[in-house]
Amino acid sequence: MLKATLAGLRAHRLRLLLTSVAIALGVGFITGTFVLTDALEAGVNQRIAADADKVDVAVRPPKANADAEDRPVIPLGVLEKVRSAPGVADAQGLVSGVAPLIGKDGKAVGSTATAAISISTGRLDRTVIVAGAPPAAADEAVMDDSTAATRGFAVGDTITVLDHRDRRHTFRLVGLMDVGVQQELAFRGAVGLTADTALRMTGAKGYQEIDVAAAQGVPAERLRQAVQAAAGTAYPVVTGEELAARLARDNGVDIRILSTMLLAFGLVALLVAALVIYNTFNILVAQRVRELALLRCIGASRGQVFGSVVLEAVVVGAIASLAGLLLGYGLGAAALAVFERLNLPLPPGSLTLEPRTMVLAPLTGLLVTVVAATLPARAATKARPIAALGARTEEPTYRAGRLMIVSAVLLTLLGGGLTAYGISTGPGEGPLMIVAAGGTLVFLAVLIVGPVIVRPLSAFTGALPRRLFGVPGRLAVDNSRRNPRRSATTTIALTVGVGLMTLISVVTASSRAYLNDRLDQEFPVDFQISAQRRDGGLDEQVPRALAADLRNRPEIGQVIEVRRADARFNGRPEEIGMMSAAALGTAVRPETTAGDLDRLAPGTAALSGNAADSLGLGVGDTATVRTPGGRSVDLRIVAVIQSEMLYLPTFTVPEASFTEYFGEIDDIQILVQAKEGVTVAAARQAVEAAARPYPTAQVLSAAEVRAEYDSAMDMLLLIVAGLLALAVIISLLGIANTLALSAHERTRESALLRALGLERSRLRQMLSIEALILGLVGALVGVTLGIVFGWAVVLTQASDVPFVVPVAQVLLLIAASGLAGVIAAVLPARRAARGSIVAAIASG
Amino acid sequence: MTITGAGHRLVGNPAQERFAVSARGLTKVYGAGDAAVRALGGVDVAFAAGHFTAIMGPSGSGKSTLMHCLAGLDAVTSGEVHIGDVEITGLNDRQLTRLRRERVGFIFQAFNLLPTLTAEQNILLPLDIAGRQVDQDLFDQVVDTVGLRDRLGHRPSQLSGGQQQRVAVARALIGKPHVIFADEPTGNLDSRSGAEVLSFLRTSVRELGQTIVMVTHDPVAASYADRVVFLRDGLLVTELYRPTPQSVLDTLVKLEA
Repeated sequence: MLKATLAGLRAHRLRLLLTSVAIALGVGFITGTFVLTDALEAGVNQRIAADADKVDVAVRPPKANADAEDRPVIPLGVLEKVRSAPGVADAQGLVSGVAPLIGKDGKAVGSTATAAISISTGRLDRTVIVAGAPPAAADEAVMDDSTAATRGFAVGDTITVLDHRDRRHTFRLVGLMDVGVQQELAFRGAVGLTADTALRMTGAKGYQEIDVAAAQGVPAERLRQAVQAAAGTAYPVVTGEELAARLARDNGVDIRILSTMLLAFGLVALLVAALVIYNTFNILVAQRVRELALLRCIGASRGQVFGSVVLEAVVVGAIASLAGLLLGYGLGAAALAVFERLNLPLPPGSLTLEPRTMVLAPLTGLLVTVVAATLPARAATKARPIAALGARTEEPTYRAGRLMIVSAVLLTLLGGGLTAYGISTGPGEGPLMIVAAGGTLVFLAVLIVGPVIVRPLSAFTGALPRRLFGVPGRLAVDNSRRNPRRSATTTIALTVGVGLMTLISVVTASSRAYLNDRLDQEFPVDFQISAQRRDGGLDEQVPRALAADLRNRPEIGQVIEVRRADARFNGRPEEIGMMSAAALGTAVRPETTAGDLDRLAPGTAALSGNAADSLGLGVGDTATVRTPGGRSVDLRIVAVIQSEMLYLPTFTVPEASFTEYFGEIDDIQILVQAKEGVTVAAARQAVEAAARPYPTAQVLSAAEVRAEYDSAMDMLLLIVAGLLALAVIISLLGIANTLALSAHERTRESALLRALGLERSRLRQMLSIEALILGLVGALVGVTLGIVFGWAVVLTQASDVPFVVPVAQVLLLIAASGLAGVIAAVLPARRAARGSIVAAIASG
Repeated sequence: MTITGAGHRLVGNPAQERFAVSARGLTKVYGAGDAAVRALGGVDVAFAAGHFTAIMGPSGSGKSTLMHCLAGLDAVTSGEVHIGDVEITGLNDRQLTRLRRERVGFIFQAFNLLPTLTAEQNILLPLDIAGRQVDQDLFDQVVDTVGLRDRLGHRPSQLSGGQQQRVAVARALIGKPHVIFADEPTGNLDSRSGAEVLSFLRTSVRELGQTIVMVTHDPVAASYADRVVFLRDGLLVTELYRPTPQSVLDTLVKLEA
C-alpha cells in the first residue's frame, strides 16, 4: 500500500507541485514573520542590554499622578544626594525636553518640535555617536543622523535651536548620533546637548532618570540600597539589569504587535492555501476513482485507502513546509535588508531560526495540509470496488443537501445577528471584534452555499463571454458550471483575498471622506497659522504681531485671531474663547440655535451648543466663571451657537472682555482669508513672509493638510493590499491547479473539439474564458462581502463617518481578478491545447 | 516523395476528382532508431465518393492509424493523402483544422459527445465551430433519419449508448462533409443499437450520397459497407465488394493464418 501511494505521488508530481507552492508560500510567510521579528527583537534587546550594561543603578521618576499635567521628573537636588551616596563612582541626570531646531529655511523643522536630550559623559554615556564627537562644551551639540540627512546638516555646521521661551541659541554641530530604539526621538528628531545646556534650553525642572556608575568592587544590589537611601523612597531605584528587562519588555510589546499583525495575514494566506489543497485532493481523488476502486478490488481496506490519501498529504505537506521554511528565512532576510536600507529606527539583529520557528511554522503547514486532505480522503474510501470495472465515470451531479442549506441559513442568521448587534452597541473596539466574528460566520455560510451560488453567478458573469466568443465562450461557461463544488472552492479561495481588500478599501475610503469632511469644517479659510506643537498637543501660541503684520499686507483680506484661555466653572475647567470682533457673524457664521448673537456685548457670552446640553445652561442664564487671575466674572448667556465649521469654546466672549479677563495673551490660531482676486500663490507668499520672523509659526493650507492625510491613507492601503496579495497569489495558484486538473480530465473532449475543427488558439481561449469567469465570480462574491462588511465596520467607527464605496478601486479589483484568472490559465491552456488528438481519442 | 505546400492545396488533380479520399505510398513510422515501429508500410488506397467502405484487419494491422492519417488527425511519415482535390500532407495545423471543419465528419467509438451540451447542441456543434448557418431542411431530414426528434433537448447522460451514437451520426452528417470517418462506431453498443446505427450510415450513403470510411473489427458491421479493404502488418492485402458477414469472416481467417 505504501509503495502504491509513493508511486502515485511520483506520478502526480507535477499536479501536486502547485499545491506545494501554495503551502510553501503560506509557511514561508509565517517563517519570515518569525525570523524578521526575532531578529528585530534580538537587535533591540542587544542594544538595550549594551546600554544598560553601562548603568549599574538607575533612579526612576515617581509614578505619574493622575492630576498632574506634566510627566513627573526627579528634582535637580536629588542628583547631588545620589552622587554623595557611598559606592557611587559617578551619577548623571538625563534631561529630555523640547527644543525646536530651526531648519535651513528659517522655520522650525517638522510638525512637532525637535526633542532635546542630554548626553552623559564618561562611562555613563549611552549615546551612539556615528560621526564626530559628543558635545563637550555649552556651545556644542549633536543631532540624530536621520534629521541631519533630511535637513541637510553636517558636522561643523552652526545650528540654531529655540529654547523654551522661543529665544534663539546657536550651537556648533560637533557630531551625529544614532537614537537607536527610542521611537519618539526617531520620530521627532533630536538634538543632544550637555546636561546643563539641555536643562537651560528645555526649561526642565528635573531629570527623567539618574544613571549611577558603581565604584570599583561595589556590587549592584548594595549600590542600589545605598542610592535608594540617598534619593529617598519617593523614587524607584533599579539595577541596570532590571532597567534593561523593563525596557526590553516595553519594546517586546511593540514587536509582538507587529508580529501578531503579520501572523494574521500569514494565517489568512494559509486558510486560502487550505482551500486550494482541499480542492486539489478532491479532484485527484475523483480522477483516481478507478485506481482506488482497483485497490479495493484487490483487497485494500477502506482504512488503507484513507491512509494512502492522508499519507500523500503528509508527504506533500512535509516537503512543501520545509521548502516554506527555507523560503521564509530568505523572506525574513530580504525584509531585514529592506529595513536596513530604509534606515528605519530598528537595529536589525542577526538572523536566526529559533526552535519555535522551526517547529511551529512547518507544523502549521503540515497540519493545514493534512486537515484539508481529510475530507477528500474520506471521499476516497467511498470508491466502490465495482467502479474499477465501469467504463466511464459519471458526470458529478450536485444537489444541495438539506443539512447544508440549514447550516448555511443558521450561520448567516447568526453572523448577521452578531454583526447587527455589534453595530448597535455603538462605536468602539469591542463592537468591531463582534462585527469581525459576524463576518467570519457569514463567510463560512458563503463557503457552504458556494456550490449553490456559483451556478447563477457564473451564468451571470458568463453572459457576455458566451455571446462574444462563440463556441469556446459557450463551452467555457458550461464548463465553469459543470462541477459547482470544485468551482466554488476554487473561487472562494480568491474571494478571501478580494473580500479583505475590498473591505480595507471601503474603510479607508470612508475614513478619507470623513477626514475630508472634518478638514472642510476646520478649514473654513484659505490658510491657518498655528504654532508648532511641543508636547502632548498643548496649544502653543503665536505672537499677536504676526496678525498685525498680516492685516497690513495688501494681498490679505480678512485676518481672524482666535484666542482661548481656561477658566473654571462649577469647579471644572471650561474654555473661554474669543474671535476678532468683526469676524463672528460675518466671516464666520455659526448657526444660532437660540438667542441672538448680535446682542453679544461685554458681560455676556455665547454658549456652544454642546456645552448647553452638558452644563444645562440656556439663554438668559448667568454663568459665574473664575479666571486664572482669581477674578469672578458673571456671564449672561445671550445666544447658543453651533458650528460645523469651527471648533467653539464653551463660552465665546467679545474681544474686549476677553482681554479684560485674561490680559494681552497671544493668538492660538490665526485664520487668514486671501483678498478677493489675489491668487492662492501670491497670498501664500504674503502669509509666509509675515510668518518668517516667527520660526515656530506654521502655515497650513487646506490642500496641504488633505494631501498629508491622503498620502498616509494611500500608504496604509498599499501595505495592507501588499500583505493580502499573498493570499490572492495563492488563490491564483488554486485556479491554475483546478484548471490544469479539469483540462486533464477533459482531454478527450478537447480532442473531440479539435477533431471537429476547433483551432488550438480557440481551445486555449476556452480555458482562458473559464478562468476569467472563475476569477470574476470569486471577485464578485468577495467584493459583495467586502462592501457589506466594510459598511458594518464603518458603522462601528465614530458615528458620523460616512459610508463610501471607492467604485473605481472596486471595479479595478474585479477587473484585476478576472485578468489574474486569465493569466493563471495560460499554462494549463497551453498544455491542454498541445495534446495530440489521436492519443486522446485512442486512450480508452 | 513530394511534400506539397499549402499553396498547392487549391490546385485540383483531375485524377483524384472521382475519389473522396485517396492515399499514395502512405507510410507511418512511430518512434526512431531501434524502437521504430512501422505502422503503415506504403499504402495505396482510394475511396470512391458516395460509397460506404470498411477498413478491416487484425489487431495491430494499422487500420486505425490509416484512418487517422487519412483524416489528417495524425501526420504521415511519407506519401500523400488527398481529401477531394486537396492534398492534406504538408498542411499546417491551422489549415488541417479548417479542412476537418469543412470537409470531414467523425464518429468515434465512445465519449463522443460533449456532456454539457444537449443532443441538439451536440449535433450543431461543427456548424457552430465553423460559424456556418444551419440548413433547417437538412437538420430536419437528418434528425428524422436517426430518429432523435423527441430527444433533442436531452443531455448525453440522459441518453442510451445507442442514442448517443445516433447523435454522433447526426453530428457527422449535418455539415455535409466530403467524407465521414467512423472509428469502431458500434464498438460500445449492443447488437440491436449497433445494427440501427449501421443502418443509418448505410441510408445516409444511399439517400444523401454521403461518403463513409469506417474502421471496424466486426464482420457484421463491415457487411453493411459496399466494399471492405483488408490490412495486415501495415499493408493493404485484399478487398471485397458487396461483402457478407461470412465472406468477411472467411477473408479475415485467411489473413490471420
